[in-house]
Amino acid sequence: MLVKHETGAIRTAVPAARARRRRRTARSAQSVVLSVVAFLFAFPILWMFTSAFKGTKAVVEDAFPLTWKSFVPAHPTMANLARLFTDLHFGRDFVNTLIVSVAQVALTLVVATLAGYAFGRLRFRGRDVLFAATLLGAFVPVEAMVIPMYGVAKHLGLLSTYPGIFLPFAFSPFAIYLMRQSFRSLPDETFEAAKLDGAGILRTFWHVGLPGVIPALASLVLIQFINSWSNFFWPLIAMQDPAKQVAQVTMAGYADNANTPLYGEIFAASTLLTVPLVFLALGLQRYYVAGMASSGLK
Amino acid sequence: MTAKTARGGRRRREAITAGLMLAPAFIGVVLFQYLPLADVLSTSLRRVDPFTRAPVGGPSLTNYSEILADPDFRRALLNTALYIAITICLEIPVALILAITVNQRLPGSRALRAAVIAAMAASETVGALVWSQMYESAFGILNSTLAALHLPQQPFLTSEHQALAAITVMSVWRGVGLPMLIFLGGLQLIPQEVYEAAKVDGVGPLRTLLQITVPLLKPSLVVAAFMSMLSGARIFTPISVMTDGGPNGSTGNLIYYSYQQAFSFQAFGPAAAAAVVMLLLLVVLSVAQARILRSE
Repeated sequence: MLVKHETGAIRTAVPAARARRRRRTARSAQSVVLSVVAFLFAFPILWMFTSAFKGTKAVVEDAFPLTWKSFVPAHPTMANLARLFTDLHFGRDFVNTLIVSVAQVALTLVVATLAGYAFGRLRFRGRDVLFAATLLGAFVPVEAMVIPMYGVAKHLGLLSTYPGIFLPFAFSPFAIYLMRQSFRSLPDETFEAAKLDGAGILRTFWHVGLPGVIPALASLVLIQFINSWSNFFWPLIAMQDPAKQVAQVTMAGYADNANTPLYGEIFAASTLLTVPLVFLALGLQRYYVAGMASSGLK
Repeated sequence: MTAKTARGGRRRREAITAGLMLAPAFIGVVLFQYLPLADVLSTSLRRVDPFTRAPVGGPSLTNYSEILADPDFRRALLNTALYIAITICLEIPVALILAITVNQRLPGSRALRAAVIAAMAASETVGALVWSQMYESAFGILNSTLAALHLPQQPFLTSEHQALAAITVMSVWRGVGLPMLIFLGGLQLIPQEVYEAAKVDGVGPLRTLLQITVPLLKPSLVVAAFMSMLSGARIFTPISVMTDGGPNGSTGNLIYYSYQQAFSFQAFGPAAAAAVVMLLLLVVLSVAQARILRSE
């Protein structure tokens, strides 16, 4: 971490020019370092993307020894993508992933916004006890609860249905916590003013509360979308109907191919699953930063 | 109507509205968190006849003594602690350095920020499959890079000593974006005057970081460390995709152990007991963490 030199008062132009030059070299050295680190961070994604246009054999053969072919396909092919959408029904699986993710995000937003408003802005007996009880859920790692959750889903007739895949994850304690913090951090005056104008509780919620927590809502969309899109273990167990299975599970199946894993297809599927989320994350990251800053994290 | 009854009416209305607003969350949390939790607790305290599968006697701690005697369980407990420790030790400092760097708006910092965000967007399965390929010991790109640099080849996922760290590195690569964004949010709340004053006083960059930035970021640090701990404890998909708990049990954690007990050996009691131990570990760690960070 370099800090700009204090040039102080400069009487002549010569030292000033020298200082400027020194600053410029320092800055360009920093940019080079930053670009290298950025490349290293992006490498797995870039490599996945270029390998998506190689055959499985080429993926394996080009990696060792290291040549330009290791990074870029020598003979780009669309065969992996073609196979994905014909033999492997990847299109169907992708749509399944999209359905459960959108549903999970939408439901989370509704549940967390309502609960967060009640916890953050309304007064009633037992509020804090109930809130603490909700937070306790954050400690329960879903992965460790799969067996009893399977039992609950079975009793409710949710196994092998779309709701069975997204419902268990739509009641996120973290989401409720974040919304409560955001509602609480809004200035009290606007709420007082609405009350004096005779606005009811729901109208105040709709016109004063909601517009103030847009960044928090956007950050919830980002987090929940990434989580639901990643969901692998639960659908693996709770979805027995291949026609409704999500892409993350079917893609992991390409690695269990009889003799060699289908590397080409794995990279092509991974690319198709990652690209939309990269755009979503790049679009929503600003809101996440703002949401985290505005919720005050006090 | 006196003011008092009007106020009372409003208060009652507020309570009823709050109840309605909380209803969906309440139903969901009870169904999908408290019920499974109660079920795990009761299963972990139940003894089952190995042949008839019928419950035997009252509540007992047999399942707990059984797993505590199992060397695989002790290994899984140790591995869980290792996953958490490595995740926090890598993720928090790296995220902090990234956030401070990106916040300086140097040329190249936008690319860095975008790269970290892109890694965040890769799902666990994608990350695990792509990195498995990179780690591949015979023809992986990491080893071919090492060979090109004339450095010794590494076994990565095939080594008992490296596999757990290799999995954690993949997980941190995916996970470091969130704490970075949390820290960026925290940095925005620090007034610029503070830094200007430090500069005037001639405070060096390292001291500025340790004595000004870190203490002022404490609220963000608390949240980020908590989330980092949970993500380190919850690593499961990468284990099942990359190593299946191997080599020689060196990468299986408590969740993986619980899963194996249930799905491979049909031992639901021990599986539930392992899940409860996992839960207790998280609660204890969170309380300890809150204490440490508050007392500083």
